[in-house]
Amino acid sequence: MEIFQQLTFLERGIAAGLLIGFISPLIGAFLLVRRMTIISEGLSHVTLTGITAGVLMMQTSAFFAFINPLYTGLLAALAGSLLIEKLRQVYKHFQELAIPIILSAGVGLSAVMISIAETGYTEWYAYLFGSILTVTLNDLLFIFLTGVLSMLIIGFFYKELLSISFDQEFASTSGISVRKINFLFTLLVALVISMSMKVVGILLVGALITLPVAAAILFAKSFRHVLFLGIIFGEAAVLGGIVSSYYLNVATGGMIVVTGIIILIGAAAVKKLLPEGFLSKEETV
Amino acid sequence: MIEVFFQYDFLRYSLFTGVLIGILAPLTGVFIVVRRLSLLADALSHITLTGIAFSLLLGRYINFFAVLNPVYMGMIFAATGSLLIERLRHTYRFYRELAIPIILSSGIGIGVVFISLADGFTTDLFSYLFGSIAAISSTDFTVVLVLTTVVVAIFGLFYKELFFLSFDEEQAVISGIPRRSLHFLFILITAVVIGISMQIVGILLVSALMTLPVAAAMRLAASFKQMFFYSVVIGEVSVLAGIFAAFHLDVAPGGMIVVVNVLILLIVLAATSEKILNRKGG
Repeated sequence: MEIFQQLTFLERGIAAGLLIGFISPLIGAFLLVRRMTIISEGLSHVTLTGITAGVLMMQTSAFFAFINPLYTGLLAALAGSLLIEKLRQVYKHFQELAIPIILSAGVGLSAVMISIAETGYTEWYAYLFGSILTVTLNDLLFIFLTGVLSMLIIGFFYKELLSISFDQEFASTSGISVRKINFLFTLLVALVISMSMKVVGILLVGALITLPVAAAILFAKSFRHVLFLGIIFGEAAVLGGIVSSYYLNVATGGMIVVTGIIILIGAAAVKKLLPEGFLSKEETV
Repeated sequence: MIEVFFQYDFLRYSLFTGVLIGILAPLTGVFIVVRRLSLLADALSHITLTGIAFSLLLGRYINFFAVLNPVYMGMIFAATGSLLIERLRHTYRFYRELAIPIILSSGIGIGVVFISLADGFTTDLFSYLFGSIAAISSTDFTVVLVLTTVVVAIFGLFYKELFFLSFDEEQAVISGIPRRSLHFLFILITAVVIGISMQIVGILLVSALMTLPVAAAMRLAASFKQMFFYSVVIGEVSVLAGIFAAFHLDVAPGGMIVVVNVLILLIVLAATSEKILNRKGG
């Protein structure tokens, strides 16, 4: 704890960014192979609802004054993930409807609550688009704890997560409880979204989860490769974004995403220039 | 309560535009949903933000863009974005579903950078994101009216082809329907509808008005035509309720429109869930 207290606000932001740059692509890789990257968009938009609700509660009642909106955001993301599952069952033939429904319902509710809450616009923009300058000591602790928690979960259940991601049927016949692991996994996604939100911003969390692994998969020969490259690209995007946003005086989240896009475009260009079969004998992904 | 909307010009235009949007968005939404493109609407609306931000940024340096409604640049970006999505689907042959999250998040990311550069983190941005009832001028309304007529006419002309493509793509292609050009036309329409609707509903909420009424209508309708009917009715009710609430309660119209939509959807789901049980039992 003391180490954290000694950090300046800028160092706090960078520390938070590094943690996020590490974990987001990790989750992204699992989401990618499960073909669920879009769920990160749905859940991040729902997190906004939780945050606005938290801010509103803080304002209206002294009882809730101690609430950190990050926690209500996390709760909302969890509730959202359960609702998505439920909606998938309701719309059996149009399962892809679940995410747009939750996404838009989440943003709609937040819009109303934002209008009601009498908070300045600047604070909302920090939530929407991220800002490293507003990372408080408490936020850094939250990011650190959720980060450690999610890494522990991934470490303990790596095999189960992997086997479910690649072959759900095989996983269930070999005795893995698909339901439990799936629930754990959504919990993980919700955790990562709420931890990244403060730095990258709600609307941009999905980018940090998707872009690095999308670049990684162009080269990777194995899942481990995707993880490894994804984390490198993620960290590069975060660092590049923070540094450039500091010098150009532009929103951090935006620059992180732009760096991520540049990495992706660069990766695609390198892949095109390299002779076919340079990276692997067989077509991998 | 309603008189005030006829007293002031800007409110009147918003109200009329709202009525048009209430028809247009769910109408397009039906095709979007049955073609399983509902996520595409989200991606296109997010990239519209990039266009709007770009136009705002240009407006600081070039006079022409300062007077131009940023929505048009938004539409151009949305159309370009849809082409990029097609291209990305090609790049990620084995992970086609990656294209939409990539475009969606890049759209917002670049948009945010443009907004920052234009010093645009102001109240205006909030009305672009969550809608506003004060944004419509009489010229805007004329444009909306013309575009609505064009879109509805196109839907009328190509109804059969679009219907066919939505339900049996292979059969449609075999019988000589030009899938690619129709798809492109359809995406273009979607971009235009998003641009029109976002002025009142807001960028982040446009896709809601396209998917939520259809999601509710789907549970009620017994035929494709009925689905259109129910979606438009639900869309209209939510838009009007949203606009009135926005004016009288001073909340973001887009937010209210979506909340009303969600309520309707919940009621419909509750009312029809019994039906499912019966069907299962029988």
